[in-house]
Amino acid sequence: MLELRLVQGSLLKKVLESVKDLVNDANFDCSATGFSLQAMDSSHVALVALLLRSEGFEHYRCDRNISMGMNLGNMAKMLKCAGNDDIITIKADDGSDTVTFMFESPTQDKIADFEMKLMDIDSEHLGIPEAEYHAIVRMPSAEFCRICKDLSSIGDTVVISVTKEGVKFSTRGDIGTANIVCRQNTTVDKPEEATVIEMNEPVSLTFALRYLNSFTKASPLSNTVTISLSSELPVVVEYKIAEMGYVRFYLAPKIEEDEEETKP
Amino acid sequence: MADIETLGIVDEIQVLVSDKLQVVSYKWLSRNFLVSSDSAKRLLQEFVEKHGDGLEVVYSLSGWMKDNPSTYHIRLVSTPNLAVLWQVVATIIKAQAANFYAEAKKEFSDDCSVQVYSVQACIPKDPVALWNAEFVQAEELFRQPLSVDNCLLDNRFCGVSNPFVQRNGGGTIPSTTTVPQVKSEALGLRKSNCTAQVQPEQKKVQLPSPSASESRGTSGPGEGSKLVADKHKVAQLPAAKKAVQSDKSSSKNGWSLANMWGRVPTKPKVDNVSASTSDATPNPAGLSLWLFGNAAQVCAPERVEDRISDDDDQQVNIRRTSNGEGNRKRRVIFDFSDEEDEFEDAVNLASPDPPKQKSIIGSKQTPSSPELENQEVKKVKEADSKSHEQERKPLSTSEPKKSEIISEHAGLKNATVKDEVAAAAPISPKRRKVLKTRIDERGREVTEVVWEGEDTETKADGNTMKKTDNNPANSTGDRPPITKKSPALGSTAPTNQAGKAGNKKAGTKDPKQGNILSFFKKA
Repeated sequence: MLELRLVQGSLLKKVLESVKDLVNDANFDCSATGFSLQAMDSSHVALVALLLRSEGFEHYRCDRNISMGMNLGNMAKMLKCAGNDDIITIKADDGSDTVTFMFESPTQDKIADFEMKLMDIDSEHLGIPEAEYHAIVRMPSAEFCRICKDLSSIGDTVVISVTKEGVKFSTRGDIGTANIVCRQNTTVDKPEEATVIEMNEPVSLTFALRYLNSFTKASPLSNTVTISLSSELPVVVEYKIAEMGYVRFYLAPKIEEDEEETKP
Repeated sequence: MADIETLGIVDEIQVLVSDKLQVVSYKWLSRNFLVSSDSAKRLLQEFVEKHGDGLEVVYSLSGWMKDNPSTYHIRLVSTPNLAVLWQVVATIIKAQAANFYAEAKKEFSDDCSVQVYSVQACIPKDPVALWNAEFVQAEELFRQPLSVDNCLLDNRFCGVSNPFVQRNGGGTIPSTTTVPQVKSEALGLRKSNCTAQVQPEQKKVQLPSPSASESRGTSGPGEGSKLVADKHKVAQLPAAKKAVQSDKSSSKNGWSLANMWGRVPTKPKVDNVSASTSDATPNPAGLSLWLFGNAAQVCAPERVEDRISDDDDQQVNIRRTSNGEGNRKRRVIFDFSDEEDEFEDAVNLASPDPPKQKSIIGSKQTPSSPELENQEVKKVKEADSKSHEQERKPLSTSEPKKSEIISEHAGLKNATVKDEVAAAAPISPKRRKVLKTRIDERGREVTEVVWEGEDTETKADGNTMKKTDNNPANSTGDRPPITKKSPALGSTAPTNQAGKAGNKKAGTKDPKQGNILSFFKKA
């Protein structure tokens, strides 16, 4: 028996909107700690890790660990039927092949039940080790979203370089090149508008903008985004979900051009 | 004959122990080469005497304890000072678990026997590793269908006979008198203890040539030198191999997460625990049962179908020894393919068949068979895209008029080429198959069948191999199956080719894009 009641139902809607374009089908894992998802995109280049901790739910009942395979597109369709202020309850019985989403309007005068079929998804859970990153950039999520969108109109890939001066996003395309530098900036009125750069050593990595643009669909979840870079690891783009958890996107970097040329 | 055969096995042991780092126990040896366990022990002893330097030897001591003469003990000890590493105690009369460890350090009485249990490059940290190889082997043998005759299913080497099990291994054991007798009194002692023992070894053994293993692999005799040993090696090495692959992918990608975290190595499907426990469990049924391994405890089929292949095996052996013994060489095949699910990176040190003259002649007589024609057409199609590669190859410049059929990765191809059969009169003036032997850059001999004739521009590369593998007249058919997985599928080809292939195929697939799976291991 599974019953999760989320007062801020819009969170779940936003989560689904942020993930559904990247991943088609995924297993939601429910345990005593929370409601989580880990899935790779179909090309195995990016990985999404979602966690909604149990404490974030008004009511959280999960008798035993359960994994529910869902088509995220279909789930998003159903969640779209929920109002932004609705309370969403996720219910599933043991051994059932369906999951029920219940939407209650804030005034309790409308209650909707949506039952969705579950699916068997063969997914491999990847172990993601805790790692020390060479550089961690925290910046407004809207800013990051804007940068990715702008650069993708020029080129396909972005080189993210973190130095003492700041973080530089650069791209190159048929029509020309573009560089955007964001300096560390902590002297702002609102803390969420700060750009904070923690750097242990300079990093420069190349990523496909297509994926980064997809990640920025999670911007509504959080005002800030944290980008963690290491020269030997995938970048982590993390959107914190207030008091509940996070959505983390991992993206494998592209191979540097010069290294490519040195190959036989 | 016996001399030659046992020499072959000793060489084989050398390869297994020093190159493949396998633990070679007498049980494994016995099953793999179809020799009796006594012979296997003697072979190991002989091997230790000849090549034992730098290797670790585990001896099995067996006898009665001084202080507890009613209990027969067997204990495995390692070389240096016969220090007690592990003890495995089998009791025949009484099994009292409390006794086991208390008596560990006490001496055996004088008449204990010392036999070589296993030979390995180093003493494994986990004693279970001692049983790994033989356990995998036993599993494999038992997994074979009942119709296949193997030494475990017909209980051939077991000291305890069973009227329901027909033993029908047909060969005769070669005389072991040429092998130094080691502690024969110890054997006698053991046998006198197990009076129920018959001596099946004396009749049931086939010719213990190294090639005997051919007939026992699951592949059957037809598939050539797919040694059982290879399987074990593969089973034991996946972790190492994965690591190598990670390195490879990193070199390709410039760098890779795999360097940091790697992937979870595929665990060998060996139930170590069950292997060790069943071995260590006192077996009231008899010492010999224990001696011959847990495998022997599994019920053998009541009747195994009559063996047909016995004669074939012998013929194979005889033929090989007659025409192949002289020029048998070890061949190492490296494959730099990037395919992830293969074990292609393992170094194969199997002894290959000698080049078969017969098959070459046969192929010459049918150069225009539809199959070959087909193959040619395919290769011609490929030819255009391979032009870059051609330029790089010394082969193509020195001998512009031929197409090769090879099994090695293209990258290995350089170095000297000598024609072995070039002088042979071609039946078809246009095209013929030629056997070429050359020394590759690593100093190994590579033998390949190549086309020589009009269809010249068709150059070999990794991709041709896949098709030519099906060609029975090809010498690659005799190679271990690992090489069959070597075709370079775009990713291993030189960069410009890879790019082309990628563009042709999908357009969306970016060869430069890293894969998340190379960074995160599967949980």
